[in-house]
Amino acid sequence: MIFVSYYLWIAPRILLAIFLICLLRRKLQKQLPIFTVFVVFELIQFSALFAAFLQSPFPAAIYRWLLLVSQVISSILELAVIYELANELIFARSSLASVLRPVLRGILAILLLAAAIGSGFFRGISIYRLTNVLGVVDFSSNLIQAGMLLALFVFARVLRVSWRDWVPGVALGFGIAASIDLASAALRAAFGTDSIIAVDRTQMAAYHVCVVIWLVFLFRSETTPALPDVKLTLSDLEPWGEELQKMVRR
Amino acid sequence: MTTSLIFAFIGLLVLVLILLLAKGHLTTHGDLQELAAQLRPVDVAAFCNLISESEQKFLYDRLPPSEFRTIHRERMLAAVDYVRGASRNAAILIRLGESARQHSDPAIRDTAQKLVDDGLRLRLFALQLVPRLYLSMAFPRLSPASDGIADTYDSMSRYVVTLGRLQFPTHEMSSAL
Repeated sequence: MIFVSYYLWIAPRILLAIFLICLLRRKLQKQLPIFTVFVVFELIQFSALFAAFLQSPFPAAIYRWLLLVSQVISSILELAVIYELANELIFARSSLASVLRPVLRGILAILLLAAAIGSGFFRGISIYRLTNVLGVVDFSSNLIQAGMLLALFVFARVLRVSWRDWVPGVALGFGIAASIDLASAALRAAFGTDSIIAVDRTQMAAYHVCVVIWLVFLFRSETTPALPDVKLTLSDLEPWGEELQKMVRR
Repeated sequence: MTTSLIFAFIGLLVLVLILLLAKGHLTTHGDLQELAAQLRPVDVAAFCNLISESEQKFLYDRLPPSEFRTIHRERMLAAVDYVRGASRNAAILIRLGESARQHSDPAIRDTAQKLVDDGLRLRLFALQLVPRLYLSMAFPRLSPASDGIADTYDSMSRYVVTLGRLQFPTHEMSSAL
């Protein structure tokens, strides 16, 4: 089982590095700059933690502090990425921004409140205060992320607006990872220290799935042009003309 | 323990919902002919008549209360049907606009942007209007009036015509309208 843990820790980061290289090669960092910063930070975080892990004797306290600080920064960056996704989907469209901005703010406020209430149940995960703080940060950020991403998907669905190219893949990857992390963080609180390893593996597996989704969407957008099936041609427009005649008849 | 399990359940529920919504988001393809076939005719004038305050007052003054309530309910149900039809058409026109937004001609891009904006505005109007229409069914004195949806629908239709004209000047779509 130790091999599974190592695989789930290292493999997604290798895939993430490949993803970053492809992203930069295609100059897509301009489309989602904060997301690019997040990916770079994830790789730096992994390098630092892996370097600490290889030290002998293992510096447990340094490792935990490093993990906590990087987790907080990572959570902040993830929220910034969600804002960037919302901007791509909603705020960039003038007609939607004024109406949906307050709605999203309201949802964020409710999620913050729910996270604050829920965090109260994470006091006694372990005897280490730092582990408990990590649990609270993990739970709160995942609750907010999962809720915000769900809200964005609902808006996209109800209003029938679409994200372009590879961007829905970013949202989908984050959404899957955040919701699995939320469920597993809550289970860790329910079952205590016995479940920590199982929960960690579940969260690492979710992260792996998330990175694979990002890669798939990135390659997919490379091989297929945007909206390939809706290129306007004369023969396409003719039925539109006919249907419009019916549609706006008085 | 119970609260933690509730949050775990919420997490799994969010996962399922995101997967379902993403699936819908990614499979909304179809060529223009298929989409055009899904358009439903919407009679804007008839819709305006249905939600007209003066028309409602006219019926209220002349009909016995029970008959007025029955007729009003039927009128509001018909209005809901119109709004849903317009909203569905708007979703299709948003797809058309989004594809035309990638065109190299700036005039087409500009018109397509306006079409998308109007389509989104109409869907927002529809979201607000349908509950108001149902509320008006229960409380006939409440007016559901919303001229915005009819105006937006009209201007959206005009943008589609403009879009066709810009791309194919010889194509006589506008004269047929």
